[in-house]
Parts: sequence; structure tokens; C-alpha cells
Amino acid sequence: MLCMQNISKVYRTDSVETHALREFSLTVDEGEFVSVTGPSGSGKTTFLNIAGLLEEFSNGKYELDGKDVSRLNDGERSRVRNEKIGFIFQSFNLIPELDIFDNVDVPLRYRGLKAAERKERIERVVELVGLASRLHHLPSQLSGGQQQRVAIARALAGEPRFLLADEPTGNLDSAMAESVMELLTEINGSGTTIIMVTHEATLARRAGRNISVRDGRVSTGNPVHLAPAATA
Amino acid sequence: MEIGPIWRALLRNKTAYVLIALQIAVTMAIMVNSISIIQERSRLMARPSGIDEDNIFYLSSLKFAPDFDFRASVVEDLDAIRSLPGVVSAIATNTVPLQGGGWSSGLQTEPGADIEGTGTAMYFVDEHGIETFGVNLLAGRNFRPTDVEWHEDTSSRWPPVGIVSRETAATLFPDTPDDVVGRTVYVSNDQAVRIIGVIERMQAAWKSWDGVERSMLVPMYREGGGIRYVVRTEPGYRDELMPQVEQMLAESNDGRLIRDMRTMTETRQRSYMEDSAMIKLLVFIVSLLTAITALGIVGLASFSVARRTRQIGTRRALGASRPAILRYFMLENFMVSSLGVVGGGILAVGMNVWMVQTFDLTPLAWYMIPLAMIALWLVGQAAVYGPARRASLVPPAVATRSV
Amino acid sequence: MFRYYLKLAVLSSAKNPILSALMVAAIAIGIGACMTIVNIDYVMGGNPIPHRSDVLYHVQLDNWDPISPAREPNDPPDQVTYLDGTALLKAAKASRQVLSYRAGRVLQPADPDIRPFEVMARTPTADFFPMFDVPFLYGQGWDKAADDNLERVVVLGKEVNEQVFGGENSVGRSIVLNGETFRVTGVIDEWEPIPRFYDVSTGAFEEVEDLFFPFSVAIDNELGNSGNTNCWKPTDGGWNAFLNSECVWMQFWVELHGEKEKQEYMAFLDAYVESQRELGRFPRPLNNRLYNVTEWMENEEVVADDVQVLLGLAVLFLIVCLLNTIGLLLAKIMRRSGDISLRRALGASRGTVFLQYIVEAGLIGLTGGVFGVLLTWLGLKGIEVLYGQFDFIGNLVRMDWLMILTAVVLAIVSALGAALYPTWRACRIHPASQLKSL
Repeated sequence: MLCMQNISKVYRTDSVETHALREFSLTVDEGEFVSVTGPSGSGKTTFLNIAGLLEEFSNGKYELDGKDVSRLNDGERSRVRNEKIGFIFQSFNLIPELDIFDNVDVPLRYRGLKAAERKERIERVVELVGLASRLHHLPSQLSGGQQQRVAIARALAGEPRFLLADEPTGNLDSAMAESVMELLTEINGSGTTIIMVTHEATLARRAGRNISVRDGRVSTGNPVHLAPAATA
Repeated sequence: MEIGPIWRALLRNKTAYVLIALQIAVTMAIMVNSISIIQERSRLMARPSGIDEDNIFYLSSLKFAPDFDFRASVVEDLDAIRSLPGVVSAIATNTVPLQGGGWSSGLQTEPGADIEGTGTAMYFVDEHGIETFGVNLLAGRNFRPTDVEWHEDTSSRWPPVGIVSRETAATLFPDTPDDVVGRTVYVSNDQAVRIIGVIERMQAAWKSWDGVERSMLVPMYREGGGIRYVVRTEPGYRDELMPQVEQMLAESNDGRLIRDMRTMTETRQRSYMEDSAMIKLLVFIVSLLTAITALGIVGLASFSVARRTRQIGTRRALGASRPAILRYFMLENFMVSSLGVVGGGILAVGMNVWMVQTFDLTPLAWYMIPLAMIALWLVGQAAVYGPARRASLVPPAVATRSV
Repeated sequence: MFRYYLKLAVLSSAKNPILSALMVAAIAIGIGACMTIVNIDYVMGGNPIPHRSDVLYHVQLDNWDPISPAREPNDPPDQVTYLDGTALLKAAKASRQVLSYRAGRVLQPADPDIRPFEVMARTPTADFFPMFDVPFLYGQGWDKAADDNLERVVVLGKEVNEQVFGGENSVGRSIVLNGETFRVTGVIDEWEPIPRFYDVSTGAFEEVEDLFFPFSVAIDNELGNSGNTNCWKPTDGGWNAFLNSECVWMQFWVELHGEKEKQEYMAFLDAYVESQRELGRFPRPLNNRLYNVTEWMENEEVVADDVQVLLGLAVLFLIVCLLNTIGLLLAKIMRRSGDISLRRALGASRGTVFLQYIVEAGLIGLTGGVFGVLLTWLGLKGIEVLYGQFDFIGNLVRMDWLMILTAVVLAIVSALGAALYPTWRACRIHPASQLKSL
């Protein structure tokens, strides 16, 4: 479903050239739960931005859902993000002035859906993450774990091809982190593809497959021993 | 269009928006009322005086020698002026329109001391008066030389004939404004004056007087401390004739002083100077104010955008295109401006009502409010465009940057 | 501690030069616009003779037409008749009184090289000079005897004295007015009461007349009025008929000290009018007025409507500028929320934070006020140009120390007022809440 081939990304300033990714390749099939790990500075954030079409890349090819998305213009990329990718950010990135309903609504508005359909979808995904009773609360009224679940709901509302999670439990305590990971596992169990970027080995083990990134490259050494994904 | 969420977000974080809306409201109130005043003053200034302003100048002759022969000097002076090439005609009179000082008396249609007269400006002229002022005789006839009388300064008698302006006729005879020639009016309660002619228009000397269009030509020379010679020239001759006439009169008789020579053009300018100045001041204030409000919006919008960089990045990540972000901020500003202009409209009307009562200004025309609303919407949108465009350029990758 | 805050304020402003400059500009412009108009309003509405304004009273009698008042809704005429003025003068019921009008004359200099020129003469009775505290350069006015004896005496204005006598002490010398010789008894110094309160019938801001000679002499010479003459009744022809008519054309002022004297004089006026009624005059009901200088100026509405309209607009203008300032301050404080939160974490109390930013606002206000004064000066110059053809405009656009001080104080107060909300927001920032985002 997702195929990145020999992706290279170079950041150039006046004095310095940084190769954030070098000939990075990755293939993800539908329904997989893939974790991408690496120490800080390894390039995993760059990978995340490129996979999420948040940034362009210098060389290589990126195919998503059978379509080449390597050289799209900004408008086209925005559309692909909206329709095919569901983001989950480390710091949740909920809009503080909007309630839960309106927060989940944001990507749907860019889809041009009618009000009735949007409402139906929002209520469904918020129910799914277990926060139906808090539909009209503000983010400030929720705990960290709850906020991340809202973010997950927001990511799911558009029925994306895959979820792209960036350290989804990085800002949570262990109890909340556990509940979020359980939710993600459950979602993956229902068939949603998940790509998760993290630096924590324990988290990475919850995924079905692990890719290690070091110095911008896929690292061949020390693959993380993975347990099979728990089935529902 | 995300009107609902924008509105709800607005309500939760009001401050910046309240400031913008208030600024717009106050600006609109000032703008609307200032433009209303400007319109009114312009209208006043555009009123014609009825005379041939471009080609008329006048000067005063003040007698001081004890043995000064008023009658002889007037006859001599007028003959001399009228014979100059380029002069159409000249008269000796008391004042001219818009001068600021003059004579007015009450006219009545019935004699009697218990009737309130209608104030009318009086111009003392001879048979050349109509030609000198260049006014339009609509009906009846001009004065004959035999109609013109010579009076002392303290005389209380009036000549038995007169020529009125059309407005005077309409005010005194509202039922038959076009048929007043031959009718009699009474001045000084019971002196009869027969109307022999009607001129189209000749304004009084006081531009703010509500009777400014009411005047009457009286066939008399009136001896006083000073008299004004009014001269009408052929087009183009005025400027060269002015020093000529001044010198000629100054030299011909040293029992009097020649002074205060002025053109009608200058008289009009002086008369309306405060209105002209007020217009300029208000234009300046409105322009400066709009600029300040626009800059204020730019500033507050920039601040508001900068504060929401992360949110913008997130929206982009979630699928908003650049134009979508631009539209979001333009729409947000439009909604705030709308609040501002609605408030501004109410404030403007309230202010206008108060000013009409206190200063007797003209009430503002209804279309000013929607026009000003549109103007301020445009100003707001133009002001927010820069910051909105900057917002649209925030890269989506901002969303994944660590806090 | 204050010096510390001041230092912080200066440093903080320097760190955000554009923002600080914008704030100063917003306040300066608002103050400049506002104070320009306030200045003019203050001068126009000012007391022209503050040390005597409460003892000088302007007299009005209602000798007007029974069918309509002299002025709506029921005001007596603004001037008095010859009959009434001279009668009141003769009765001499006040400690001082003056009756006057004005007439145009032609001055014929003895020096044949100087051409004759027109002068405007004020023709008062003797008490004019002491009552209105007219400053003299040389000599003095005349006395009651001169009034009674119709003496041809004259007091020159400073400018006329310079034109004719080169500015020397001309007391005792003579000038010729319209062929008649007058002896100079005094020369007055520059005197420009604003407004020219003693006669506002032709305009409140006209210049003081060029010279002065006795009222009785003017009447004797049958000099017509160069001011406003209003008659509700026709008069017979001739000078005497004019003097005995109901036409109003002169101003009558009295000097009264204390409420008791004022009441007594009012009673006298009422009695006088009643006695005249028996002669068939004063058909309207009793309607005499005694206004002191400030009351009379207010009654005559010497402050032009336009000025008041502009004043209202200028205040609103200032409000818009202050709204701008609030926004800019908010932006500045929010941008500095990290700094604030840090200080709170290090032990600063809410009050301390409040004070720090109030001082900063005060500094902005002070700077804005100083520039505002400059802009006011510019504004007044602009007004002078715009209204240039009014000769008296130069007098109206003066800025005195009170106005300068008011501008600066207004700027500081406005800045502090504008700062209240943003500063309150600053105090609410929790300690260390913003530290993660530093």
C-alpha cells in the first residue's frame, strides 16, 4: 500500500549540508502495524514528515495506494494528506479554543462533506475512543490520555489509509500510555494500517514489524525482537 | 465555510477580536459622521450667489474731509469707472453677497406693526444694478433712472418700488410665487413698496443665515461714512482693471480713502473658509484614522497568526491547502469586522442623532451606513491579507516539531 | 525598586524597538490630534480677564417687539438703546459703568508723507480703562469731566502710535481724525483679550480697536455705528430720531462687587424698566439680564460649533489610538510570557509583575506624551494655515504650559489606562507555566 524507494533528503544552509535521509526504502502492506525507531538525530522525524507528505524530498520515489505522490504540488499533497493519512502527534495538537466535536471536525471540513455526514462520523469515532460523554468539552478539560484519544478520533474520522503516529505516548504517564497503546492495537486489529515513529524500544515491540533508522539510513544491525500483534 | 467553529473559537478567546471590532466600530462612527458633515458643507459651498462672481470686484470709498460732496463724488466716480474700456458696468452700493456685513429689513404683505416681517437682505443700487451684478431678471422690469433716489444716512424713507429675488417672492406670496410683479409689500411696518421686477437669485451677505436667498434691490444711493463701488468687467479684464480703478479713484479725490479692494472670488473664499477648512480637517482625520485602524488590524492579526503557528501547521497536516488557510483567516476577520460594522452602525446613528440635536447638523443620509460598512469590510480584509498570507505559508512540518 | 523597574522598562522597550515605537506613535498621534483641538477649545473658551471676570456684568434690557422675542426662545437683545444706555449711565447705580460702541474714522497724519488711513475707533465712557484693566504704555485714559465736556481727547493703540509717532511717548500731542483735532492722553500697551468680550456682537475674536475717544464726542459728531444695529420698529429719519429710537447698537457693562450689589442693581434695572413702561416703552414682560464675563461668553456661544464637533471626534480618535495601544501591549506581554512566568517562578509576586509593567506603560506614556506635544504644535500650525484668512487665528493657536502639561499627563494616564487589561493578563500567568516553551 505504501512504498518508499531510495528516498534522500538533504537540508542545505549556507555553510552546512545535512543528509537527513539517505536512500531510505520502506514498504508497508495494508493492515500492518510498523514501528520506526532510532535515536534522536537519526532522521526518523524527517522520515515521518516525508511519509506524511509534510515535506518534500530530494531524490527517490514515494508511492501511496498505487499512486506516485513524489512530485505533487502543495494543493495535491494537502488533498492526499486529508484523504489518506491520519496524523497522531506527540503533543496531541488539539486546537485549544475548539471543543472536541469541532476538533475532530477539522479534517472533515476540508473534505467538503455535508453537515449531517460530518456529525455522524464525528459521533462514531468519538464513541469508538470512548469519549462520547465529553463531546462538547474543551481540551483543557481533558487529561493527556483523553486528549490523545481525541486526536486519534480526529485521525480516524477521515477514514484514512493509514495512521501516522509520532511518539504517541511521549507526553503521557505510563497508565495513560498503556490505554492509548491498547487503543491503537485495537484499531490495527480492525484492519487500519499504522506506522508509528518512536525512540522507545518497549513501545516498538508492540508493533508487528520494526524498522531501525540510524544516520538517515535503515539500519541492518540489531533488529528488535518483535512479538506478533495480539489478536482481538 | 467554517463559520460555526470560527465563531465558537472567537467566543472563547475574545480579547484581540473585541479590540479589532471596537476599533472598527468607533472608526465607522467617526467616518460616517465626518463624511456627512463634509457632504453638507460641500453642498453649502456649491450654492451659487446669483451674481457674476468671476468678473466682479469692489472697493470702499471712505469720506473724511468735512466738506466732502457725496453726491458729486459718486456721480464723478461712477462716470469715470464706467467709461473705462473693459468695464461692463459699475454701481455705488452698500454691500455684496457673502460679504459678512450688510443690511436686512422685514417685509410684510400687509401693513401694520403687529405683523412679523420676513427678513430680507437689502441692496441699494441704481438702474445699473442688475447689469453690474449680472443677475437674471425673470419678470417685470429694471429700475429707470427716475426711480433712483438720493438719501441721507439716517433716512427712514424707502423708495416706492423694488425688485425682489425669486425666493423672497415665494416666501411672501407662497400661493402665487410667479406672479408677484405689481404686488405691494410693506417695509418698516407701513411703507408701501411696489414690486416691479423679480430676479432669479441674489444671496445675502450672511452665508449661514436661513434667509440667505431672500433679497431685494432698492433704487437708492445712501450717504454714509463709506460706500462700496462694485465693478463688473468683461471676462479677462478684471485683474488688470483692479489696480487701474484703485489708483484712478485714489488720485481723483483726496477727501476720501480708497481701501479694501477685493474680488468676489476672494469674498467667496473668505466666506466659506471655515467650511473649507472643516472639510479638509475631516478628510485628514478620516484618512489618518482609517490608516491607524488598518495598521491596528495588521498588527493584531499578525500577533494572532504568530500565536497560532502550531495550529496552522496542524491544520495543514490534516489536509488544509494554502488557500484554505488564507480563506480561514480572511473569513475570521470578516466575521470580526461584521461585528464591528454593526456596532459601528449603531454608534454612528446614535452619534448623529446627538449631533443633530446639539449642533443642528443635517441628519445623515441612510445610504452612508451600508457604504461605510462596505468600506470598512474592505479595509479590514485588505489589512488582514498580509498576515493571512503569511499564515498560509506556514509549513505543515511545523506540526511535528517538538514543543 | 522603582529605578529597577525603570531600567527594566527601558531595556524591554529597546529589545522590541518596532513594537515600542508603534506604541509610542499610537499614543503620540492620539494625543496630538486630541490636544490640538482641546487647545483651541481652551483658548476660545478661556476667561479673557480672569482677575475681574466675576465683577464685570453685561446688562441686557428687553425693549423688544411684543410679537416676537429678539432671540429665540425668549432672550432680550444683546445690545442696548441710546436712551437706556445713557439713562443707566446717568443713574450711576454701580460703582463703575461703561457705555460704548465703535465707529470708523480716517486718521490724517500731520506728516504729509504718510497717507491718511482708516482706523476703527472704540468710543466708550471714561470707566472703560479701569474697569477692563487696560494696560498703558504712556499716560492714561480720560476722566468723567472729559466725558461731560465733550473733550476731544484720544487714547492710541500701540500700533497706531508706532505708525504716527514712531512709538514715542505721544502724550500731549495731537492727531487729526476726519478733519478734527484730538489730543493724546495715553497710549495703551498690547492688549488682545481672547475673546474680545466687551463687544462680541460682530464676532467674538475680532481685534481690539485701533484707538479710543469719548462716547459723548462720537455722539456729538453723529458717528454711525460700525458694529451691529438692530431695530424692531421703524424710526423717523435723522440722527435725533435714531438716538431716541428702540434700535439697539451699544454695549453697557457695570462693575458690581458681591451678590448683594448684584441683587440691588438688578432691582434697580427692574424699577427702571417699570418706570419706562409708564411712558409706553417696553411692551414685553420683564426680562432683564445681568451676566458676568464668563456667563456672557457662554450665552453668546463664542466657542464655535465646529470646534465642539471636532473635539468630540478628537476624543473618539484618541480612543481608537488607545485601543490600538491595548492591542500592542497585549501582544508584547504575551510574547514575553516566558519572561513573566520565569520571574514568577523565581519569586516575583503578582503585585511586582503588575508594577513592572505599569512602569513600562508609564514610560511609553511619557515618551508618547512628549512626541504628542510636538504633534500638537504641528497640528496647531496646520490649523493656522488652514484658517489663515481669519486674522485672529494666530491668537487662537497658542500653546501655553498648562496645555503642554495636560498633554503629557493625558498621555501617561491614557497609557496607564490602556495597560490595565494587558497587565492584569500578565499577572495571571502562572509561574513556570510557559517555561516549557522557552
